[in-house]
Amino acid sequence: MDELAQAIRAEAARLLAEDVVDVVIGFQAGSLALRPQPAFFTDASGVDTLIYNGFCQNNLATYLARRSREERVGIVCRGCESRAIRVLVSEHRHDREGLYLIGIPCEGIIDWRKAEREAGLGPGGFAEVLSVSEQGDEVLLSTRRGEYRLQRERVLHDSCKRCAYPDPVGTDITLGEPAGADAREPRWGLVDAFEALSPEERYQSFVQEAERCIRCYACREACPMCYCTECFVDYTTPRWAESMITPSGTHAWHIIRAFHQTGRCASCGACERACPMDIKMTYLTDKLDRDMLEQYDYEVGAAEGAPPPFATFTLDDQDQFVR
Amino acid sequence: MIKILPKADLATTIDQWRVEATVYAPVRQEEVVGFQPLTGSGNGCFTLDANSRYPPKSLFLPQSEALFRVAGSDLEPVEGDLSERIVFGIRPCDARACQLLDGVFAGTEYTDPYWSEKRRHTTLVALGCTDPCETCFCTAVGSGPFDSRGADVMLTDIGEVYVAQADTAQGEALLSRLQDASQEQIDASSQAQAEARAAMARPFELDGIRETLYGLFDDEFWYDVQQPCLGCGVCTFLCPTCHCFDIVDEAQRGERVRNWDTCMFQIYSQEASGHNPRPTNVERTRQRIMHKYAYFGELYDEVGCTGCGRCVRYCPAGIDMRQIIRSSQSRG
Repeated sequence: MDELAQAIRAEAARLLAEDVVDVVIGFQAGSLALRPQPAFFTDASGVDTLIYNGFCQNNLATYLARRSREERVGIVCRGCESRAIRVLVSEHRHDREGLYLIGIPCEGIIDWRKAEREAGLGPGGFAEVLSVSEQGDEVLLSTRRGEYRLQRERVLHDSCKRCAYPDPVGTDITLGEPAGADAREPRWGLVDAFEALSPEERYQSFVQEAERCIRCYACREACPMCYCTECFVDYTTPRWAESMITPSGTHAWHIIRAFHQTGRCASCGACERACPMDIKMTYLTDKLDRDMLEQYDYEVGAAEGAPPPFATFTLDDQDQFVR
Repeated sequence: MIKILPKADLATTIDQWRVEATVYAPVRQEEVVGFQPLTGSGNGCFTLDANSRYPPKSLFLPQSEALFRVAGSDLEPVEGDLSERIVFGIRPCDARACQLLDGVFAGTEYTDPYWSEKRRHTTLVALGCTDPCETCFCTAVGSGPFDSRGADVMLTDIGEVYVAQADTAQGEALLSRLQDASQEQIDASSQAQAEARAAMARPFELDGIRETLYGLFDDEFWYDVQQPCLGCGVCTFLCPTCHCFDIVDEAQRGERVRNWDTCMFQIYSQEASGHNPRPTNVERTRQRIMHKYAYFGELYDEVGCTGCGRCVRYCPAGIDMRQIIRSSQSRG
């Protein structure tokens, strides 16, 4: 990992020194050991604080919507980030020429909550991890109560376990060795499990998750695809969803949010990692991704320049409604 | 009044309280701890090893609350649940937050009946923190792991028993049936409190913070600190002292409701004309920090932060309030 971080640092410094980009988006150490922080480097001399490790949990592509379109941006990209950027480019959110993709292979993101739980530090409890290191297949947590050695595979984020595309695509440079494309768990495992439930059980499961929602919209803000300047949920005329944290309000949010991801979700799981209430939501977007694959033979971000299915039409479409 | 509450008797004591009141305690659902009314008996119903993730201010200022209902051409009050409540296991930072919010909702100038009525019918039994988290910083904001302001009872864990100190008439009434604490037990509790306080890191000093922040009002500082911010509502919704709300007419329900609102949302300060006085995340971040560390102090002479650390722990972008205050001081 350290070697990879060194390589990213060197490339970031080069891009800034040679004026290829105005800013490089990467990570730096945060104040909590398990929580590196997205960071923005504008000066080659400042890249010494750039780091990379398995706890870098944000999808950095979400920051593109927050930057000026005139800015030339270098961005550290794993598989999911690079595929998200492809979709953003195909949706004309960004000019590909203005971006410089620093591709890195991904070994999967470590879920800090799982890591704490696995170490028996108490769910929702005490953030006592003082330092952390990754050693091959193991993660070493150091706390006031002693050291904990965890199996990396056990504490990976769920989305990363199902990831079929850990290597970045369409990059300007790719650092490190390819991670290879064998998902640790069946890619559609979550969808299969959900579909195996009865309609009543599915509803119960949905309700149990959605009704914990506090409408903070961390899922929306963490998602590279949620870039609308006005989200449907913020409209007042007409009002599309009840404003409250009632069942009606939270159900509407979760269903419509997922719907708007159809054919666009890169399955990065940033929504779940951002959620302060541990709400599961990738089962919905995974289902939509599989529908798009089965019905439109479309894999989000897999092919350069592939038109987004829901933003295109042809006159010889077999469905009557387009004619 | 200083009594003891033996841990072995905790379940039966709570059962006794439950006869006359609804008892709320931190309950673990999945992995999320939150205050829930206890419906069953026994220690297994609640958890005391972690603070609630969702702030207990919601017991007095629910995230969504109907203010009145429209019935034909009349307006009807919405009957709130005003039965007696005991909140067991609230942490000092959160009880202190309730006290700070009393200044807002039950102060000398305005009285919010929705908040005040619920407060009047609720007794707060706080559990002091003998084992504060790494993200806790109550001592830095003028409070501490055994600050009893806002609480009716403060419990100190000294092993087999809790030493229970009542600071209000409500608290004394609740503890009246318990046994008095011995001098040794009182001494042990003082020692536990002092140790917890001493063990806490003190990430910053508050001296001159208001002037520092005002001095930075137009500084690039705010652009720098907000860069990683996603603009979500995690920090403000989990905050025990954030209290902004938005009033909405929910036409289909026939109700006027108020929902928690947050200065971190673009829509928060959006005006009908299209103008937004806080057009970017820079102004919104500045508002969040300055409201707590400067403006709140102008109004109430207190810092509007109790150091619970939820915003630090749950920020999806790893932003740390303590770091922001420290940076402002080294910059300003």
